[in-house]
Amino acid sequence: MADLFQNYALDGFYDEMFAAPGRPHPHYERLSARFTQMENMGELLERQKRADQTFLSRGVTFTVYSDDRGTEKIFPFDLIPRIIPAHEWAHLEAGLTQRMTALNLFLADIYGPQRILREGVVPREMVGSSKNFRPEMVGFAVPRGLYVHINGTDLVRDEHGDYRVLEDNLRTPSGVSYVLENRQIMKRVFPGLIRDYRVRPVELYPNDLLALLLHLAPEHVPEPTVVLLTPGIYNSAYFEHAFLARQMGIEIVEGSDLVVEDDRVYMRRTGGLAPVHVIYRRLDDDFLDPTVFREDSLLGVPGLVRAYRAGNVALCNPIGTGVADDKAMYYYVPRMIKFYLGEEPILPNVETHLSSDPDDLKFILENLPRLVVKSVNEAGGYGMLVGPHSTRAQIEEFRVKITANPRNFIAQPTLGLSRCPAVCGDSIEGRHIDLRPYILNGETVKIMPGGLTRVALRKGSLVVNSSQGGGSKDTWVLSASAGTHPPAPGPEKIAV
Amino acid sequence: MLSRVANLVYWMARYLERAENTARIVDVNAALVVDLQSRRDADDPKSWESLIYVSGGEELFDQLYDEVSERTVVEFMLFEKRNPGSIFSCVSQARENARCIRDQIASEVWEQINTFYLKLRDDDYARYAQLGSSEYLSRVKTQSQLLYGIAESMLPRNQAWWFFELGRFLERADNVSRILDVKYFMLLPALDAVGSALDIIQWASVLRSCSGFEAFRKSRRGQLNLERVVDYLMLDDAFPRSVYFSVREAEHALAQITADTPHIAENAATTLIADLRAELEQIVIRDVLADGLHEYLDQLQLKVSEIHEAVQNVFITYPTAGAHKW
Repeated sequence: MADLFQNYALDGFYDEMFAAPGRPHPHYERLSARFTQMENMGELLERQKRADQTFLSRGVTFTVYSDDRGTEKIFPFDLIPRIIPAHEWAHLEAGLTQRMTALNLFLADIYGPQRILREGVVPREMVGSSKNFRPEMVGFAVPRGLYVHINGTDLVRDEHGDYRVLEDNLRTPSGVSYVLENRQIMKRVFPGLIRDYRVRPVELYPNDLLALLLHLAPEHVPEPTVVLLTPGIYNSAYFEHAFLARQMGIEIVEGSDLVVEDDRVYMRRTGGLAPVHVIYRRLDDDFLDPTVFREDSLLGVPGLVRAYRAGNVALCNPIGTGVADDKAMYYYVPRMIKFYLGEEPILPNVETHLSSDPDDLKFILENLPRLVVKSVNEAGGYGMLVGPHSTRAQIEEFRVKITANPRNFIAQPTLGLSRCPAVCGDSIEGRHIDLRPYILNGETVKIMPGGLTRVALRKGSLVVNSSQGGGSKDTWVLSASAGTHPPAPGPEKIAV
Repeated sequence: MLSRVANLVYWMARYLERAENTARIVDVNAALVVDLQSRRDADDPKSWESLIYVSGGEELFDQLYDEVSERTVVEFMLFEKRNPGSIFSCVSQARENARCIRDQIASEVWEQINTFYLKLRDDDYARYAQLGSSEYLSRVKTQSQLLYGIAESMLPRNQAWWFFELGRFLERADNVSRILDVKYFMLLPALDAVGSALDIIQWASVLRSCSGFEAFRKSRRGQLNLERVVDYLMLDDAFPRSVYFSVREAEHALAQITADTPHIAENAATTLIADLRAELEQIVIRDVLADGLHEYLDQLQLKVSEIHEAVQNVFITYPTAGAHKW
């Protein structure tokens, strides 16, 4: 029998599947045994093809902006799952819950008494200069005291296999629809393996999200109406918006569907105006309400902020959460955890240098070729310099930018992100991955077991974003009692 | 349902119906030209010119083309991207609308509209000429019929469906009246040859452009003539492309739309459409012809457009101040 992993090289990175060449980690042994049963790559490629076709026909796509043919692309999917054993997940869950709790306390504080600023733990100018700080929200009591409801925290593993937080996404994190769809596909392609592994289900997410949204509704409303507010079909995440709305059984609306009358929000239906009590908005603060934020926004709803402040409608996420996921504020999150909870952070940050700090700035400018520099307010892998993969000219360009606006950049060492085997052409090779779990903060903190594992499919690439050639994998969090070892050799074949 | 979504469905249906009627008109004209060729100069631009008037795009046509010929007229009515009334433009618009509500219509419906669009996008006059008008246009009509078939068997009979029906039948009432108007205008000089072979061929062509030739024959109305054809296309209560039938179906759709909203069961649109239906039940075609068919059809198109305006005001763009609140 051919070994599909025969030529698989670790190249000195931490590998999710192999502890050493030819020696899988215990939780990958069953999968390894299953793959060994395959005669050759042919069967795997066949399954990969089937998966790709299913994605296309199910319309699991993202829109490419510059494409006048309107053909949507599928987010590439890799068949080899990322497996997380129960004890590792327990550690992540504890760390993410702690982080979510501290971030919520931080936002409550920033938009309230500002104790953390007065005590100098976070410099006041850091908040004042953040373009995502919303002074309009200071002193406003949000529903249920919840200042942030959904966080998509990006995690990576370093050379030693230790999980670290790369960034928080506290505004409108996307990608959760891929997690749910990936699982549907894997259930078709490897049904036996999923069952034998006792993979924890992700399918409850839409229920949990809806429960959270209903929890936020104004208390006097007996049967609240929840809607999802989308920027429209040209948004690259529109598929996800429609998917989640359908899964939750709520209406998907555009800004023009909503009107505000007497500080109450209504949607315009054929039979008249129907009240709206909770808005799961997938629209940034800037575009929400042209009378308060960007005047030129046609996507938002005039008067929405007044209705929100009057307590007649809840917004998820609330306005102003972006101040806490700013890449410079990220630096202070471990200090927030200590300050508010008196605990050590369970999940450490990646070592980070702030260019606004004179000593750090000097260090950054001296070490640009080996650092990753990120613009504080950009997302999606844009506005980023990966030193070791950049030309001299690109590095010099960033040197000028950083010197001109130090508040706008942070730098981190180039990480040796962990790798996981991926189907690349007709062989299996190691590719760098990260993990975005989705943390819901409602009556309690709830975390879907798993999350989106993104994989940088370009050889050697560290950038996992879909806009930059990334793909995704199914993420399997195992039950505590899961059997990870292959069954004892016997006459029966392993179920697929 | 959301007003925006209702409007997208409504317009999607109107665009599709318009595209189909355009295909019918061009088809029949091409066939008619073949019939006429033995009698008239085959290159007579008049035989294609009337189509431009049906579409109401004379000005635009003159801007875009230097001469009237089968080629320019067919390009204008079928493929011209700059003509908002061309089949291609109508189908693109319908597809764009469908795309916006893709998750709310059956995926088979979306796929068929998309297929229709993709086929048209790659076609041009050369393709039309290569296949021949009859074969090419029958393919276009088949695409459209396929879509209705799929929609009919896949879409739940909810408000979206009834807005689809409303748009489709209002558009049909309008289009059929336009076809009649133009043909009447064009055939008028032939009135002195009443009963001639040419006369019969031409009125048969009018029926065919509404797919009504066989149905007319089966209705046993006797020999083809102006009055009988106009009566059939205007008032027949069983033929699904007559103006009366279309208005009655649109009225039914409107009633279904307000079935769950008693507070607007009576509205400007229902009143206007009931008036129009009652009027069609009263009129006598002989009198209409005596008073001038063109004037009557003009009024009819105006009334259809008033119904359209009322539908917009009642369901889609109503002022929020004072609107009914649930």
